[in-house]
Amino acid sequence: MESVILAASECDVSEEIICAPKDVLELFFFEDALFTIGGFNFTRTVFLIFLAMFIVLGLLYFGLRKGEKVPSKFAAAIESLVTFVKEDIAIGIIGPEGVKYAPYLLAVFMFVIVGNLFEVTPLINFPITSRMAIPLFISLVTWVIFVFVGFKKNGISYLTGLIWPKSVPIALRWLVGIIEFVSTFLLRPVTLAVRLFANLVAGHLMLTLLLASGWIFISSVGDIGARAIIGLPWFVFGLGIYLFEIVVAVLQAYIITLLSAVYVQTSVHPEH
Amino acid sequence: MFASATPWLLATEAAEESEGIDLLLPESSELIAGIIAFAIIFFFAWKWVFPTITKTLESRQAAIKAGFEAAEAAKVEAESLKNDYQAQLAQAREEAGRIVEEARQAGESVRAEVVARADVEAAAIKERATADMSGERDRVAASLRREVADLSLDVAEKVVGSSLDRASQQALVDRYIDELGGLGS
Repeated sequence: MESVILAASECDVSEEIICAPKDVLELFFFEDALFTIGGFNFTRTVFLIFLAMFIVLGLLYFGLRKGEKVPSKFAAAIESLVTFVKEDIAIGIIGPEGVKYAPYLLAVFMFVIVGNLFEVTPLINFPITSRMAIPLFISLVTWVIFVFVGFKKNGISYLTGLIWPKSVPIALRWLVGIIEFVSTFLLRPVTLAVRLFANLVAGHLMLTLLLASGWIFISSVGDIGARAIIGLPWFVFGLGIYLFEIVVAVLQAYIITLLSAVYVQTSVHPEH
Repeated sequence: MFASATPWLLATEAAEESEGIDLLLPESSELIAGIIAFAIIFFFAWKWVFPTITKTLESRQAAIKAGFEAAEAAKVEAESLKNDYQAQLAQAREEAGRIVEEARQAGESVRAEVVARADVEAAAIKERATADMSGERDRVAASLRREVADLSLDVAEKVVGSSLDRASQQALVDRYIDELGGLGS
């Protein structure tokens, strides 16, 4: 955000009606390493990834550390969050054996929700999930889990059941088989990653452009006079999107966790 | 409007060359950081969060259960205490009723005794009075009779001028008075 606001001097407020960088992709790259350890670039994004990790660990640790009989409000909130992932997502979707996957699903949910909420966290304003690394990694882990569980639980019939579904009329069976195979093994990891990533990219883009434009126009009222009013709708709209993005951040974290559970469930009980 | 050598973003050189596809490809440093961070969160969740919360919830469940059981026991105890008190209260009421009844009966008998004794005394007094009175009357009557007989004899002596046989005359007068008394009474 700081670098965007620095751009105020470069935005031609007397000609343009919105301030945007020539290449919006710039909003997602922090190329300059804060420092480098043996060729590993410790960029702002890398820093934020570890910050998210520490926040997640801190929330869980301080929420559950005491384990009091009558929990404080904070402890009750963290407990209900953990219980929600375990009871409603892991056990609720996968079934009684879903409890095994609860730690993974909790890690996904907590890491993604904190990473997403960085989008609307003042002074951070950058969702680490708008970088492909984290959504892609989580999707691949989910993919590995559900493929592994599918073969482990059902043997080769996991694969044959998908590409030669007995419940479908024989004339359509090959077609449905191809669609199922492609959607399960190829599209699932891609859609899972892209859904999260694209939502956060879009949100970050909108917030940055709207709020930065609003700020730049309004703050240059001394130079451009009445034209500064252009900034007002951008700013108001940006604030509206800001609230909306809080919902998106929570919802997308829930969706990727839920879908990971659903994918595992279809491998545990492929007939459903 | 965007001067290329400006701080639009600090990473201008690389960014200028960036294509849309770059956004879709993970940065290796971010991928490594993400894997490390995620793995740490996962192990923390696996090894600490779930064992801890399970322990907490179980101990809370036990505490709540114990609380309910204690409340139940206290309720039962209170119930039995209440029954005891009610029984004792009923007993006490009965006792009180009995005592009152006894007192009433005792009072009744005392009263009857007092009344009876008073009656007896009254009767004795009355009797004594009656006896006194009748004695007096007899005495008065006797005296009167003697007096009347004497007077009658005196009158008769004066009339006949001689003394009469005092004793037989006296008996005659007495018999006459008795006859009068018999008529009168």
